[in-house]
Amino acid sequence: MNEVAVKIPLPKISANGFHPSVDTPLVIETRGLKKTYFGKVNIPVLFGIDLQIRQQEFVAIIGQSGSGKSTLLNILGALDVPTEGKVLINGVDISTLADDELAILRSDEVGFIFQAHYLLNEFTCLENTLMPITIRHGEADEEQTARVLNLLERVGLTDQINKHPDEMSGGQNQRCAIVRSLANSPKIILADEPTGNLDRTSGEEVFALMREMNRESGVAFVMITHDDRLAQQADRILLIEDGNVIEMSKAEHKHKFETV
Amino acid sequence: MMNSLIQLLITALIPRSRRFEFQVAMRHLLSGGWQTLMTISAVTTGVIIVIFITSLIFGLQANISKLLTDSIPHITIKVADPKPKTLQDLHDPAISSGRIEQQAPQLKLIDNWEQVVSTASKLPNVKAVSALVSGQGFASKGANPMGVSVIGADPVLQDMVTPVTSDLIAGKYQGLGSDEIVIDSQLAKDLNVSVGERIRLNSSIGVSESLNVVGIYSSGRGRGSVYITLRNGQSFFGYGTSVNAIYVKVYDIYDVENLSKTLMALVPYEARPWTADFGSFLTNMQVMGASAYLISAFSLIASAFSIAAVLIVSVLQKSQQIGILKSMGAKQTQILRIFVFEGLGVAIFGSGLGAILGTAIVFLLGLLTRTSTQIGKPPDRLFPVQILPKYIAAAIVAAVVTTVIAAVLPARRAAKLNPVDVMR
Repeated sequence: MNEVAVKIPLPKISANGFHPSVDTPLVIETRGLKKTYFGKVNIPVLFGIDLQIRQQEFVAIIGQSGSGKSTLLNILGALDVPTEGKVLINGVDISTLADDELAILRSDEVGFIFQAHYLLNEFTCLENTLMPITIRHGEADEEQTARVLNLLERVGLTDQINKHPDEMSGGQNQRCAIVRSLANSPKIILADEPTGNLDRTSGEEVFALMREMNRESGVAFVMITHDDRLAQQADRILLIEDGNVIEMSKAEHKHKFETV
Repeated sequence: MMNSLIQLLITALIPRSRRFEFQVAMRHLLSGGWQTLMTISAVTTGVIIVIFITSLIFGLQANISKLLTDSIPHITIKVADPKPKTLQDLHDPAISSGRIEQQAPQLKLIDNWEQVVSTASKLPNVKAVSALVSGQGFASKGANPMGVSVIGADPVLQDMVTPVTSDLIAGKYQGLGSDEIVIDSQLAKDLNVSVGERIRLNSSIGVSESLNVVGIYSSGRGRGSVYITLRNGQSFFGYGTSVNAIYVKVYDIYDVENLSKTLMALVPYEARPWTADFGSFLTNMQVMGASAYLISAFSLIASAFSIAAVLIVSVLQKSQQIGILKSMGAKQTQILRIFVFEGLGVAIFGSGLGAILGTAIVFLLGLLTRTSTQIGKPPDRLFPVQILPKYIAAAIVAAVVTTVIAAVLPARRAAKLNPVDVMR
């Protein structure tokens, strides 16, 4: 198995992480975002979230189960619609977009990584990683394929490209899913507990890869995690509590999780 | 090898913008295992049933039609029976009876038959026209005279109207001479004669002739007529140069009623279509045809339902995948197309296989035989099936259309799935 840790170059930024200036373009902005699930009992989940995420930022979202982290992430990725408030992706209010335009937005601007890898079993690793390009263009051209092959090499999957997901390990599949999320060179990657299903070593490896891609390509990452050690390695930490978002400094967070 | 061949086909046949949907659909089918086999076999079965039923019923229909209409003229031109006259028409005060009586039979001859034949021959749908004399007579060899119906006609024209030559089991009919006769096998048996022997023929008006038997035929339809030349027939019945019937053979036997009306407008005689005497036969034929269509439609509907059922299950199983694809930017129309392509794949493979198997079954059934009802003839086919390319093509088209319709229903549902709902 190809489970050797991938070598990661040292970050060029300080140990405190990347701190964008006000000139760094906003990739995600939310204004007064509210979400209520309507049913027999109406369940309010988000109570007015104002959020700004800039290019190249790596943001960790933490919070209790059921606090609304995944709901927020789905709304940011245009998979779900807010009850109130606005989401701007690269300055575009996504509530103004039609179904097909939203599909194009998801394809071109946003990449998703989930807790389960969600690779398609009928396709090989390479075909899975090319899928966003295939959806968008019908078929990947040579240049696109070369770029994806290069990414696969970077995550150490070159010798796995013709294998199907059920022939690879959990860590390999999640690395494959990372490459897939990057296939269309999006501006934002939304990751919902990407290491949640992995053992500690594989989890750290996958996280290190995401961090590396973030630094190299400048793609912003919004990652939900329950792993406080990983959250410590992000640029910013956002705590979702009682439907509100609280910006935590790393020191606050460290203090909190060390005392718990 | 197989994959690169498929890849080559895709590149050649599928426009680039549709290759994503096509690829996903193909992978679904290839990885579908028993589900794919089930749907394909549902289509295959439907198509086999349609091909089998249509070839059997229409084959049977054609066979029965041929059996009947070969032996009868499609339109018979005769002098019309005079209508009974009412008392007022007669203006005879001496007649006081209220009884209306049909006029007594009289000699009903067509004198200008050559003119009628040439008029009828020019009409559309007319295949052949034969003028003839027909009547009753007695055939004997030695002591026992047997009642027979006698037809005097030109052998070439007669063969086109009610074939004799094709039913011959001995001798000849074409080139019939003035002192020659062709008889049916039953009569030959009763009179104990064979080709080359002479028999005596007495007409109802007392003319007697000794004729040489030159041909014996068997039609398999009971005792048939005896055939002599037209000239011979005319003198035998004392008709001079006239005839008493003109037979018309047509191409489309189900389109004779208009033709007979046209004929009656052109000539002063009665033109009676075969359907007037065989009305229930015609209805039965139409019912047979309709039942073939109905059975075909029901079997296609049944297979459409099973396809829809399997595809609905497939959509449920694939709903998570649909969610993933949508999260990666797949549009609703793309998802819809995936399932339509799947349906098309099933339809094309299934109906192609069905067409091959169905045709093979029909062909093999056509090889089975039973002993002929006609004496001295080769055995008949047990199933009078006909391979009808028209209905095979129709079965394929109908199967493809119903399968795609059956696929669209669950596909629309799939396309509308919300990724967030299915990926929880």
